[in-house]
Amino acid sequence: MSAPLKTREILALIPLAWGDDALDMTLGAAQRVAADAGLGFAALLLGNAGAEEGARRAAAAGAARICLAAHGGLALDAEPAALALAGADAVRRQPEANQRLLLVPPGADGEELAAHLAAVLDAQPLGRCSALSWTEAGLEAERATWGGRLRLGMTQADGSAVACLRLGKAELSSTAEPPCERLELDTVLPAPLAVEESTSGQRLPPVESARIVVSGGRGVNEQGFALLEELAERLDGSLGGSLPAVDAGMVPVMRQVGVSGKFVSPDIYLAVGISGTPQHLAGISPDTRIVAINKDPAADIFKVASVGVVGDWEQVLPELLRVVER
Amino acid sequence: MNILVLLAGVADVRYPLHEIRIDAAGLIEEGGQSRRQLGPFDEGALELALKLRDAREDCRIEVLVLGGSNNDNLLRSVAAFKPDRLRLLDLQPCRPWDARLSAAQIAGLIGAEGTPDLLLIGREFGDLDEGSLPVLLAARLGLPLFALAQYAEWQGEQVRLLRERGIRQQWHSVAGPLLATVTNDRRNKLRHPLMKNVMLAKKMTFDSVTASAAADSDVRLADLAPAREVQRGGQCRLLDGDVPSQARALAGYLRGEEEENAA
Repeated sequence: MSAPLKTREILALIPLAWGDDALDMTLGAAQRVAADAGLGFAALLLGNAGAEEGARRAAAAGAARICLAAHGGLALDAEPAALALAGADAVRRQPEANQRLLLVPPGADGEELAAHLAAVLDAQPLGRCSALSWTEAGLEAERATWGGRLRLGMTQADGSAVACLRLGKAELSSTAEPPCERLELDTVLPAPLAVEESTSGQRLPPVESARIVVSGGRGVNEQGFALLEELAERLDGSLGGSLPAVDAGMVPVMRQVGVSGKFVSPDIYLAVGISGTPQHLAGISPDTRIVAINKDPAADIFKVASVGVVGDWEQVLPELLRVVER
Repeated sequence: MNILVLLAGVADVRYPLHEIRIDAAGLIEEGGQSRRQLGPFDEGALELALKLRDAREDCRIEVLVLGGSNNDNLLRSVAAFKPDRLRLLDLQPCRPWDARLSAAQIAGLIGAEGTPDLLLIGREFGDLDEGSLPVLLAARLGLPLFALAQYAEWQGEQVRLLRERGIRQQWHSVAGPLLATVTNDRRNKLRHPLMKNVMLAKKMTFDSVTASAAADSDVRLADLAPAREVQRGGQCRLLDGDVPSQARALAGYLRGEEEENAA
């Protein structure tokens, strides 16, 4: 028998050091799932920096309760394992719930955090969900599988769960003033893995936060990627690539866009020599305008692009660079 | 050094997906011609292990390949790289959508057989995992986790693992048993096996091992359906004219001049 509705809780757990986008996206997911389920949601903001602004945004998103959990030993770039231990400690200090849905920021870091949290709390990891709802049968989650070609629906009748859900940013329109509790955590954190660090030589900003992403695929060689990087720099954008381009060593894996890489939501995504597989398109926001350059007029990328050029990048890119230079 | 590599395989994206459905018992049933093969993250994990073994005679590779459709071909493709031991991993019960259960099953097996010095696994374990299973497996085994390794090498008696984070690259020297997830990178692109080893692999038979768990999954499989089509702008406006005029129009669009003019 499923738990009574009143003991179900949606809790958005957000590391503040991950920035406003992570905060607003997680609040957005909590807002939507809560509204559909006829429930409220609570926000657990983890970290030391920006707590006041975080609390203001959570209140504006309609959080019924806010908890600011600080830990003196959490670095701004803390590993997900440490964040999960501190976060789990804070979760255990929340009011009891028979079934709790923990939502964490979408994206690769959030997915790793979700799995760590599930391990520490012995909760069910639901992973990278495309939909979540709460019915009398329990939590119902939907996930893309088989490279984004099938969607799989799962039901969890009992027990808590941790999930990532990408539904867009929260609407920050509430004027309510929810209760805000402060927690000082003293969780014993694991020593971070010892690493030797050096710079990787990357000049461009991260691909996931750029207004324009210039991206190349299997059809572009090393010389072409040098032109794409130059173009990205001139447009104040960033550089991305498809999985085959990463495999070929044309672009680093941290710039891989797609179902197994980064999710990007720029205004414009310039796809050069990219065929447009569902696996690649899954990494691009539906709101993004795609501009395609491809010599194959039948390439699937033209089915989703707003503007396209059927042509060879070896001719188009140098000319485009000349024009953008002026 | 004993290296254990866990491989799951993924459906080949170059071909239409084979028939997959939920059977009467609520399990995944795969029919038709499955083309499960090593995925890019599987390949990276296997190649890193092979590179480490190339450099040291006392380095031993054991591989477990997840059971499922197209078992036989997948095992033979791995056997062609001549791991020191290769077995089929049979999960009982098999609930690949539940990373918590699968990780508990695999951890139980590894715990019983002895923890390796280095456990390599792709950052995603098969077509139904999005990265949860390796993290949960490390937690179950009590192993430190080095996520998204891109390269591995020997430095003296120690293995060093490399990953890139933002504008930083990080090297970790492996000081004790550790689980590393591996992501795709040009430095771990899987080599081609020798033809003679491919031929030998065709004649091999393989052992299997069962990883079971007393408890069943808390998550019931409810539905399996084609992916929803994502609605995008589309209606592509193809730029015509010669290359210079196409480039001018494209530059204007990228700079947002076209929208400003329209406004």
